[in-house]
Amino acid sequence: MDPKGKKILCIEDEYFISELYVRALTRVGYEVTVEPDGEKAVQLGLSDQFDIILLDLMIPSLTGVEVLKRLRDPSLAKPLHAKIIITTNLEQREEVREDIEKQADGYLVKAEITPHELIEFLSHIDA
Amino acid sequence: MEYLRKFSAQIRSRLFILLLIDNLLFLADWYVATQILHLDGLALLAALIVVPLLAVIVLPWFGAHALTQPTELLAEAILHIAPTNNEQVPSPKVESARLGRELITTLVHQIYQLANAADETARETGQPADLHKNFIAATMPLPLFTLDASQNVLFANQAACDYLKLAEADIVGKSFYSVADMAFADEKTFDGWLSEVRGTKATASSSWERVRLEVSETRPLRLFDLSAYYNQANPDRIETMLIMFDHTSQYSQDDQAVSFMALSVHELRTPLTLLRGYIEAFEDEFAGKLSPEMNDFMFKMKASAQQLTSFVNNILNVARVDDDQLVLQLHEENWREVVRSVADNMALRAHVRGITIEYSVAPDLPPVGVDRVSILEVMNNLLDNAIKYSGSSTKIRINTYLTANGMVETTVRDYGVGIPENVMPHLFTKFYRDHHNRAQIGGTGLGLYLCKAIVTAHGGNLWVKSRVGEGSTFGFTLLPYAKLADEKKRSGNSDITRSAHGWIKNHSLYRR
Repeated sequence: MDPKGKKILCIEDEYFISELYVRALTRVGYEVTVEPDGEKAVQLGLSDQFDIILLDLMIPSLTGVEVLKRLRDPSLAKPLHAKIIITTNLEQREEVREDIEKQADGYLVKAEITPHELIEFLSHIDA
Repeated sequence: MEYLRKFSAQIRSRLFILLLIDNLLFLADWYVATQILHLDGLALLAALIVVPLLAVIVLPWFGAHALTQPTELLAEAILHIAPTNNEQVPSPKVESARLGRELITTLVHQIYQLANAADETARETGQPADLHKNFIAATMPLPLFTLDASQNVLFANQAACDYLKLAEADIVGKSFYSVADMAFADEKTFDGWLSEVRGTKATASSSWERVRLEVSETRPLRLFDLSAYYNQANPDRIETMLIMFDHTSQYSQDDQAVSFMALSVHELRTPLTLLRGYIEAFEDEFAGKLSPEMNDFMFKMKASAQQLTSFVNNILNVARVDDDQLVLQLHEENWREVVRSVADNMALRAHVRGITIEYSVAPDLPPVGVDRVSILEVMNNLLDNAIKYSGSSTKIRINTYLTANGMVETTVRDYGVGIPENVMPHLFTKFYRDHHNRAQIGGTGLGLYLCKAIVTAHGGNLWVKSRVGEGSTFGFTLLPYAKLADEKKRSGNSDITRSAHGWIKNHSLYRR
C-alpha cells in the first residue's frame, strides 16, 4: 500500500512509542493522529476518516477490547472502512483472542517491532 | 526310598547276570576249543582271547542301554517341561521302563508337580520365580521394572516402589502406563519405540532424557532419564526392562532458572525495542551527515542492541519450549532470501570482529516450509556461535543445497577453535557450556538447545561436525514447502497468518 496521504489513528498512551511511530510513519507519507484516551479514540475512530487504526489494548478510560468492539459494532449505519491493527504486549485469554481475531485485521507484538518494521508490516495491509 | 532299593537290587541282579553270562561264555569257549576242536598252542590262545574279547564288547553294549534307560526317561521328563528348551521334547513313555519303573514313574510325577507349582506361583504373583530371588534386581538402588508383552508390570524392585510411592501390590500385575504416567520431552516416546522395535528386532535398547512423571497430589513431579532394554520372546516372559535415573533436582533447577530469567528479561523487551527505535530515528536523521567515527559508533550501538535482542528472544523462547508454548506456524518461504537477509543482518556483528560472512545458495532450491521468526533465530544463533568461536580466523561460510532425499540443508562453517570430542555429546544440552571456554567466551548455554528444539519442531535435523583447531560446521535440514502443503490442506486453511510477532488477515506477507 502506498502510504502517501493515508490516515492513521494511533491509539496509544505510551509517549515514547507514539513519538517514534508518528515520526517514522510521517516520514514515509502517512498522516498520523495520536489519541491516548479510549473514549475519545472511539469518537475519533467512528468519524470514519482513518484508513488504519493502531490500537493498543492497554489504554486509559476504556479497554482496547471495548474500543475494538465499539468500532466494529454491527449496528453502525455504515461499517468503518479502516483496518484495525492491534498493538500490544499482553498475552490474551483464549476468548478475548478469539474476539480479536474476528474483529481486528492485524496483530502486532509492540515490544518486538521497531518503527521501520511497523512500516514494513503496514505496507502489506490493503487499506 | 523303597523304590530306590528295589531299583538298586534290579541293577545288581542285571550286573550279576551279565557277569555270569560272560564267565559262562569263557568256559564254553574253553570247552569247545580244547574238547571239541582240540586246539592247542597259538590257536588255543587266540580262541581264548578273541571270543571273550568279543563278549566284553557286545555284552556291555546291550547292558548299557538297559542301565541308562531310567536316566534317559528322567532327562526326557525334565526337557519336556523346561522353558529354555527350544526343541519340542515329548513326554517320556514311563511304562516302557524295564528297570526301576516305579521309581521313574514317581520321579517323573514329582518333576511335573514341581513345574506346575512354579507356574502357579508365577501366575499368582505375576512374577517369574527366579526374579524373586534375584538379589541384584531387588536391592539395586535405582528404580527397576520388568514388563511383559502387554506392558503389565512383572516385577518392580524396592527402589521402584519407593520412587512411585506405591506398594508393590499396587504396581505388580498392573499396566505400566497406569502406574507411571510418563511424559516425554519430544515425540520419541517409550511406547512408540516399543511398537517400532517389536516388529523388527529381537533385542534393542534405548534411552530418553528429561522424562516427566505426571504430577498428582500424592506423587510430586519427578524428572528423570529412562533406559529401556527390549528382548523379544524372552522365556521368563520379561519383554522389557526399564531403569529410571532421577535428575529431578538438577532438571527442575534448570527449569526454575529459565522461568526466572524469562520473567526478568520479559521486562527488557519494551525498553530495548524503544532503544532500537531511537537508533533507527538517529540513522534516518543523520544518514550521510556523520563523521566516520560517529558512523562507526552508530554501527556498534545498533549491533549491540541487536545482540541484546537476540539474547532476550533466546531466553523467552527457551521458556516457551520448556512450557510447550512455542507454536510454529509454517509458511512457504524463499530460502535464498532468508539466508541472504540473515547473512546481511549478522554482517554487522561479524564485521565488528573483523569477520566476513560468505554464503552460497544452490540454484535449484524449492521454497521451504518454516516459521520465519523462529528459523531466523536458529540461523542467528548458529552465526553468533560461529562469530564467537572463530578465534583469529576471518571467514564464516554458509552453504545451502538440496540433499539426496529432497531436504533443504544449510550449513554454517567457521574456521576457528573447534569443539573438543568430549564436549560434543553435551552440545545441545540446556545450560551446557564447555568449561575451557567459559572464562573467555560469554553465553548462556541455551542457544543450541533452542536451535535443536526449533529445527526438530520443523521436522528437520540439526547436526554438528568439528575438529579442534580447524573449526566447526553446524548443519540443519528443512522440509520443502510442497511436502508440508498437503498436510496444511488437510488441517483446513485458516485465513489468518501467524508468526511469533503478529498476524495479518488475508494478505501475503509470508508468501513472498
